[in-house]
Amino acid sequence: MTGYFVRRFLLIIPTFIGITLLVFAITRVVPGGPIERMMTQIQLGGETGSLHRSQGGGTLSDEQMEELKRYYGFDKPMLSSYAIWLKKVLQFDLGHSTRYQDPVWEIIKERFPISIFYGLSTLVLTYAVCIPLGLAKGMYHGSTLDSWSSAVVFLGYALPSYVIGIALISLFAGYWDMFPLGGFVSDNYEEFSAWGKAKDIFSHAVLPLIAYLAGSFAVTTLMMKNSLMDNLSADYMRTAAAKGLSRSESVRKHALRNSLIPVATSFGSNISLLLGGSFLIETIFNIDGIGLLGYEAIIERDYPIVMGILVISSLLYLLGNILSDICVALVDPRIRFGGGRGA
Amino acid sequence: MSLLSIQNLSVSILGDDGIARELVSSISFDIAAGETLGLVGESGCGKSLTAMSILDLLPKPQASRSNGKVLFKGEDIGSTNQTRLRQIRGKNIAVIFQDPMTALNPVQSVAQQIGEVLRIHFPEQSRQQHGQRILELLREVGIPAPEARLSAYPHQLSGGMRQRVMIAMALACEPDLLIADEPTTALDVTIQSQIVRLLKGLQAKNGMAMLFITHDLALVSQVSDHIAVMYAGKIAEYGKARDVFATPHHPYTQSLLAALPGIHHQAKSPLLALEGQVPAIENMPSGCRFANRCRYVAELCHNKTPLAEHISETNTVACHRWKEIRS
Ligand SMILES: Nc1ncnc2c1ncn2[C@@H]1O[C@H](COP(=O)(O)OP(=O)(O)O)[C@@H](O)[C@H]1O
Ligand code: SF4
Ligand SMILES: [Mg+2]
Repeated sequence: MTGYFVRRFLLIIPTFIGITLLVFAITRVVPGGPIERMMTQIQLGGETGSLHRSQGGGTLSDEQMEELKRYYGFDKPMLSSYAIWLKKVLQFDLGHSTRYQDPVWEIIKERFPISIFYGLSTLVLTYAVCIPLGLAKGMYHGSTLDSWSSAVVFLGYALPSYVIGIALISLFAGYWDMFPLGGFVSDNYEEFSAWGKAKDIFSHAVLPLIAYLAGSFAVTTLMMKNSLMDNLSADYMRTAAAKGLSRSESVRKHALRNSLIPVATSFGSNISLLLGGSFLIETIFNIDGIGLLGYEAIIERDYPIVMGILVISSLLYLLGNILSDICVALVDPRIRFGGGRGA
Repeated sequence: MSLLSIQNLSVSILGDDGIARELVSSISFDIAAGETLGLVGESGCGKSLTAMSILDLLPKPQASRSNGKVLFKGEDIGSTNQTRLRQIRGKNIAVIFQDPMTALNPVQSVAQQIGEVLRIHFPEQSRQQHGQRILELLREVGIPAPEARLSAYPHQLSGGMRQRVMIAMALACEPDLLIADEPTTALDVTIQSQIVRLLKGLQAKNGMAMLFITHDLALVSQVSDHIAVMYAGKIAEYGKARDVFATPHHPYTQSLLAALPGIHHQAKSPLLALEGQVPAIENMPSGCRFANRCRYVAELCHNKTPLAEHISETNTVACHRWKEIRS
């Protein structure tokens, strides 16, 4: 078992290289890279910052092109410049943004608190709502509660999150003015007391969180419900009744743990939600999160940022998958990874 | 007074169309203390429904007891409250099921699952006492190296071992009556006889009564004092096991015995082989339920349900023509 998880951890290395190499290669072949951008700007006669200044008719000399390529590492073959990039990453150096010239790590770090706040809230709220709701729906299958919550949950699932976001913001922030229009905190946030600060973050978070959660409730809730119902009708529940347990005791002591197994399985992979963040929702609510940063970086061909976000999110995803397996092994004694004999 | 008395028990099944239809119909039988009643019949004839209705373990809402009384030591446990019923379940009457694979909780250890029934019915005893008792039970049901099995999960045990664990669980509170619903059907033939021998041995030791359910007539002949032959939700013939095997009166029992290899019956002939199908629950005949397969069928059989008639003091048969058939 331990051997299995050690192998899984070691497998992160080739997987990580595979993912990053693929995206690295794509950044090389997709048109509109940083050098082409620079050239366009120069041709348009624009100021390009202190580093490079156009000369004469707005075209670059060959030497200048070479200099630019060297600066961005485009002068070497793809694999060797990937190796250079990887070596830097191993030294915790993600390079500099081509747009802002700032270190990539600094830019990403700035967005961390916001993204983690939303990611963690989404994760916690999803489980805090879906598990009890799914259990209640399973226990009282066919009840009014069951049908109404299904309707709500599926509506949220069917509507794209940006539609929900826009609807929420126009109703509750525009029409009724109950919540702020957007942003993470108010402009005068620093002047508030601790309690005021908490309230401020909360009021800013309500609408985006609803938009985030609306779509994620359906899957987990229904998974929980179906899983509980399967277990309620299982043979071992009849055994529990035949022993003299009451219905509620047998649900609590037998069906519950079994029905949590599939939900626990999904937990690890949801860890990557922590840093997810949809750029659509972040755009609508004017939140400076990782999602928006990544989207802008792709549009603007700010490849160091793109690669930086990729490094962090792929590591998180790979670790999350292993965490998933650990969760499953913890809750289900039948699962023994790696062919070793369990005792 | 008998230990368990079932009187006019009927169980209805709720169809997909929302109509409840009586499958088990007006069944009566008694089990005396320490005795074994073998309930035998083809699969689907309602044996499990009959057995599960005793402790109100029917799969709800698909199946429900629609009529009849269940008397245990004279107490009407068919209409008692849930609290009282829970005291009886596992303590006075225990059940073992057909499939030990699914009847045990897959994520609890052997010790947890046996310990639970002790905790329910002997909450005043200490954990140590329960631990002692669990080991003693595992030893009693013939599980080798019981100490090593305490922390085992069901998937780590063979089918036969799992059924032994089920038996240990059922015997934990030394019940007066054990309901064994096809306890060996899911097991290998060699394991089957081991389990049957184990059950007989434990029964003799504890002096408990047993309702032994099976579709296997040969098996029921080994274990039972009395047998009840069931067909399509009704009891065709009931009596002392020896009598029923020696002189079966119901045409259905006769066909079953004739089909049995190795048992010599004077009227054994290929003519007795059963043809046709058990009637579906949607169109149960209003007369004798065996009529479409019976070679003695007469006009009367289609119109009138045959009631149980006494052949002797203890034995009964439900056939209009049993007297003619005998001669
Ligand atoms: N949970 C259920 N839902 C619907 N029908 C059932 C259910 N349980 C039993 N039945 C019906 O009752 C009949 C008798 O079932 P059962 O008592 O289990 O037979 P057996 O004699 O094999 O134990 C079955 O053939 C089936 O049609
Ligand atoms: S009542 Fe008629 S049909 Fe039924 S078993 Fe007797 S002879 Fe056959
Ligand atoms: Mg059955």
